[in-house]
Amino acid sequence: MNSKKIFGSIVLSSALVLSACGSAEESGSSEAGSDGPLTLTMFSADATQDDPFTNPVAEEITERTGVKLDISYPVGGDDLEAVALMIGSGDYPDMIFGKGGLNQLIDAGALEPLDQMIEERGDNIKAMYGDQLTRLQNSLDDPQIYHLGTGGVENKYLETSGTMMMQLGLLKEQGYPDIQTLEDYENALVDFLEKNPTTEDGQEWIPMTLSGSDWRWLITVGDPASFVSGFSNDGQWHVDESSGETTYKFQREEIKEYFKWLNGMNAKGLLDPESFTHTHDTYISKLSSGRVLGIADQDWNISSAEAALRGEGKDWSLWAPLPVTLGEEYVAQSTRDYGFTGSTGVSISADSEHKEEAFDFLNWMASEEAQILTNWGIEGVNYEIVDGMRVQTDEDRENAQTNSNYALETGVGHYVHPFPQWGSGKMDSNGQPVTRTAKEDIRKNMVEAEIETLDAYGAELWVDLFPAPEDLGQPAHGRAWELPLPTSSQVNVVQQRADDYTTQKVTEAILASPDDFDAIWDEMQTELEAMGIEEANEEMTGYIHNRIELWEGEVE
Amino acid sequence: MESSKATTVEQQSQLKGRLKKTPKKKITWKRIKQQKLLIFLSIPFVAWLVVFAYTPLIGWLVAFQDYKPQNGFFGSEWVGIDHFITLFNDSLFYTALKNTLGMGILGLVFGTGTAIIFALLLNELRFSKFKKFTQTISYLPHFVSWVVVANLVTTVLANTGIVNNILQFLNLIDSPINFMSSPNMFWGIVTGAEVWKSTGWNAIIYLAAMTSINEEMYEAAHVDGANRFQQMWHITLPAIKPIIIILMIMNIGNVINIGFERQMLLGNNIVADAAIVIEKYALDYGISMFRYSFGTAIGIFKSVISIILIFTFNRIAKKTSDISVM
Repeated sequence: MNSKKIFGSIVLSSALVLSACGSAEESGSSEAGSDGPLTLTMFSADATQDDPFTNPVAEEITERTGVKLDISYPVGGDDLEAVALMIGSGDYPDMIFGKGGLNQLIDAGALEPLDQMIEERGDNIKAMYGDQLTRLQNSLDDPQIYHLGTGGVENKYLETSGTMMMQLGLLKEQGYPDIQTLEDYENALVDFLEKNPTTEDGQEWIPMTLSGSDWRWLITVGDPASFVSGFSNDGQWHVDESSGETTYKFQREEIKEYFKWLNGMNAKGLLDPESFTHTHDTYISKLSSGRVLGIADQDWNISSAEAALRGEGKDWSLWAPLPVTLGEEYVAQSTRDYGFTGSTGVSISADSEHKEEAFDFLNWMASEEAQILTNWGIEGVNYEIVDGMRVQTDEDRENAQTNSNYALETGVGHYVHPFPQWGSGKMDSNGQPVTRTAKEDIRKNMVEAEIETLDAYGAELWVDLFPAPEDLGQPAHGRAWELPLPTSSQVNVVQQRADDYTTQKVTEAILASPDDFDAIWDEMQTELEAMGIEEANEEMTGYIHNRIELWEGEVE
Repeated sequence: MESSKATTVEQQSQLKGRLKKTPKKKITWKRIKQQKLLIFLSIPFVAWLVVFAYTPLIGWLVAFQDYKPQNGFFGSEWVGIDHFITLFNDSLFYTALKNTLGMGILGLVFGTGTAIIFALLLNELRFSKFKKFTQTISYLPHFVSWVVVANLVTTVLANTGIVNNILQFLNLIDSPINFMSSPNMFWGIVTGAEVWKSTGWNAIIYLAAMTSINEEMYEAAHVDGANRFQQMWHITLPAIKPIIIILMIMNIGNVINIGFERQMLLGNNIVADAAIVIEKYALDYGISMFRYSFGTAIGIFKSVISIILIFTFNRIAKKTSDISVM
């Protein structure tokens, strides 16, 4: 009896232990039986929501390719962390959009070189990238292609984003003034507030607000500083285009000017005192209330507020993008054509059991058929063919403008990025743009208030207020922030330190009394040098030179 | 039946052995034979412990390498204590350490203090329905996620939040206080939020300990003329002292493991210097930069600090009150 008991107890307790480890064994990509679609797993560094891949466009993709995607995303928002964990565990999905972690993935041997597959079976991909295919090469030492660059081949810049913006209602009241400089911008605000101390329903205006409490600091505080200074979109860097000389942008005088202006705005009570403490949700709810007159943000960051305002019919509370710079001598770069930069994009995992299927899928995504489906949606639902041309249906337009969940629910536009994509300037075999952003489409998507404002300025689109892309030219290096840095690079560490530090210090400087601003700024410069920013600048300059050489541009 | 009785008796004597000093019994074959069932029973759990708690420690070796995933554990270069030197030379690390210990200790002191006071007060309540009701609503915040708590706190303390409204209404201040943007208040806000969230929950264990106090002691004290406060001080508190000390010893090791979610959620760019804690530092400067070895080095450092803290407090407790867990 005793031995039975012993045996029983051992079985029981080992079962307990084993059940704890049992669940770990689950296959990464499951092969559905002979019928059923093939599920490919994928990581997307830019996705932020669960996507069950069941919206109409997704189902259509599955129907046409026999592939269903299981997309995971960085929970908590940090894509590099997610990639680092992936490399640490050695557990890769079939397809990876690694974004800034691309080089680390390549170094870890996680990615499959695609050159041969592109050569043998990548007709759509070859047709799409054309002579830009060389821009996908990894580096001078290892010129293989590991990813299919996103961002659109052959773009036409009909929209802009990330500039200083001002409420339409304010512009109307001010008689549509010409706003080119920060001074104009501030004067318009001040003048408007003098005449209209409160909103129609008696609430206080918020003259200008920012979303500076989390990583969006970079979007609403750091980036606008570059744009206003006439820098092109190089993230935390400034690249001198004639020499390729790269500097950490917070060392530049122009950037200081902008923050000094913000400091002044704060001292005059024109900057929302909660700009650096409120959460993004609070920021969006402030914007959605229609009380905010001025912002400096990217469209994608405020789209839910815009949808809410449109939904409530508060059209005049939307904002107009303006080519504001520090002064007349600076040129706004917001309409700049960076060429095809494609330095990040979807890769295929070297461990995947479905490399060929994954490649064929990506190749299909680059086809005209797929591009029309992902950009326009389902015929008869999202668009109709009128006189041989695609026309968005009215219900779909209405839905797209007022439903902040539009992309995920309908799938329209949801599978364009980060896959290989045709740019807004590319025409299909029918002679119609493949993206839904032709001039007519953009005009149709505008509300009455926007059209009225544009008419008053004598423009058709917002970009008409900005310098023409042709006048700005293409930079030979693309965009510095897109440059994936080598794993061994010290720039990684120094930049993180410097970014953390400047984020805090610049905020302190903005909120300080104007008398202290210069002292704080000088202290920041000294500290940045102590962190080794000069070495980082030098190293970064080297990477920019390499990039230009790889892309066969010219450096003098 | 017999064996299960033996188990409880054994457990009790073990427990006593922990609480009071009793001479250790010698391990003899006879005893092993007697307890073979117990030993067999414990084998899977010891194995579990070895596999899940001790085997992963081999991974610590990574801290002494320049670990690259592509080279694997055996192919990576050994660099000795380079990563520790980098760590100890980084001024940000000391800021993070200071913040971690500061908020950890504040949380421990105020968390324990408020829980004990709250339990004492609840214990004095005679109206049991009200007592149960209070207990239930007071531990509910424990189940609220930090994400929600952080939003609540920032809303309440905002410039137009209820706290500023009340202070202004009472004419205590002229202009709203920017609670969330003053680095000096950050530790206090984090501790306050934590106290709000965990007081009720932490009080449960003290309340449970109080119910086991013999009623006769209170009656005797009452006869001797002790008032309610004196009864609390001389009977209730000494009776739950062992529980307090044991919980303290267990929690003190976690002072450095305070996590980073509340600091990350409540923090912003203005208070960043007061909000960075070790775990966030390890995340941002370790794994997020693919510096696996550096991250591991931070982990080891943390464990060492934890162990030192536990042993120190254990020693102090043993000396002053004769209660210890080891």
